[in-house]
Amino acid sequence: MAEHHISAAAKIRAAVAQDLLSGRISLLLGWEKGHFQWQSRPLFARDGADLERLAWDSFCAVNLSRYLPEELKENEKVGVLVKGCDSRALNRLVQDRAVPRERVVAYGLPCPGMLDAGRLVEAAGGWPDEIAEANGRVVLKGGGRESEVHRDSLLLDKCRHCLYPDPVACDQLLLAPVGNREAPDRFKAVEEREQLSAGERYAYWEKELQRCLRCYACRQICPACSCRECFVEQEQPRWLGKAYDASETFLFHLIRAYHVAGRCIDCGECERSCPVGIPLQELNRKLIKDLNALYGPYEAGLDPEREPPLLTYAPNDPAAFTEK
Amino acid sequence: MPAAVNGPAGQAPAGERQTSAWEPLIVAFCCNWCSYAGGDLAGTGRMEYPANVKVIRVPCSSRMNPLFIMRAFQRGADGVLVAGCHPGDCHYSSGNYHVRRRLSAFKQLLEFSGLEPQRFQVHWISSSEGDKFAAVMRSMTGEIKALGPNGKLRDRRWQSIT
Repeated sequence: MAEHHISAAAKIRAAVAQDLLSGRISLLLGWEKGHFQWQSRPLFARDGADLERLAWDSFCAVNLSRYLPEELKENEKVGVLVKGCDSRALNRLVQDRAVPRERVVAYGLPCPGMLDAGRLVEAAGGWPDEIAEANGRVVLKGGGRESEVHRDSLLLDKCRHCLYPDPVACDQLLLAPVGNREAPDRFKAVEEREQLSAGERYAYWEKELQRCLRCYACRQICPACSCRECFVEQEQPRWLGKAYDASETFLFHLIRAYHVAGRCIDCGECERSCPVGIPLQELNRKLIKDLNALYGPYEAGLDPEREPPLLTYAPNDPAAFTEK
Repeated sequence: MPAAVNGPAGQAPAGERQTSAWEPLIVAFCCNWCSYAGGDLAGTGRMEYPANVKVIRVPCSSRMNPLFIMRAFQRGADGVLVAGCHPGDCHYSSGNYHVRRRLSAFKQLLEFSGLEPQRFQVHWISSSEGDKFAAVMRSMTGEIKALGPNGKLRDRRWQSIT
């Protein structure tokens, strides 16, 4: 891994060690390496030995704020490493009263954007044995080949459209800010889809949703899905059947997207965690785009004081249905 | 995947598509205070509107859970309508203001998924607008008849009761 990443991990470890070892926090949510170099998985650090495994590299995509509501049941105070998207997730959870802010210590990590393992394989022509980064370029070695590519070309989809790589809310910023980004083509896919006829759109979604395994990973990883009981598991009434039918899958995905409407921070964790590659961000972004157009620009998780568009109203609001 | 007894995906059952006597099924969720009373007025005023419309009374248009709409389409509705008090006239002050936002977002999401705009409609009908109630039911039935049977979002195991 690149030099600055190794030192960054050490810096982070040093910064959180005192809080964890002194007992100010009883748990630190971070990342550790998985089996392969292109995997960084959540780390639940409770002592110094756990902390040794802490990693910070280009694969720490998992949004850790999602674990806070559950972990706060067992811990009085939890520390969490937050990237830009994670910090907005934290803001959202605080706003939903799913997380008491005073019981969380957020350590901010400005994020250069995380890399996509699939794109690495494509660029390297196979699974790389060695991944090295320097000056915005990535060198991939493996199978007797060596290739060097621009870092931006390997970014995860969710990071390509990221507007706020720097944490918007944290107690302590551990690394130097990287600055806000622009994502001019954030709604491009949605706009293209809107141009199609109703029949073409239905055919598109039927094809995409056909792959759904209903593993609910998209719901499980979502920082906006904070209901104690999800409609998916509800018994009375049982909204979602167990049979494999296209209508059940449509019902799940449309309602999932709608349930986070106005609260979705566009972190893209749903799409990233989907094992069958359903373009879930298109559904989320459709709602963000429409709500922005109808009820004014709103970025969920930026300002915890500002109410999400579906929790408020104005008497002279426009509507998407016309009286006939 | 069950055998395609009901025809290709996204289309209504073959039986329905071929029958010239096909009549659309429209589910109308009406708010208790305005639109349901408007329907009553249409009835007492002996105004005619198509029997295709099945009215379900809800306490307020903001009682609408989008799952109601999904379930109606799933179980064979060709069109779903939500009717409530005019904005400003809500019995509970702000119910329809909230639902105006929610259903605006949801309607556009439904259309994004491929549903025709006419199949899901929202109208404001007051308790004194019996004529409007009948007119809305007539126009919506006409629009759905023109579109034909709905197969989208529909459970393929579900057979129409008609």
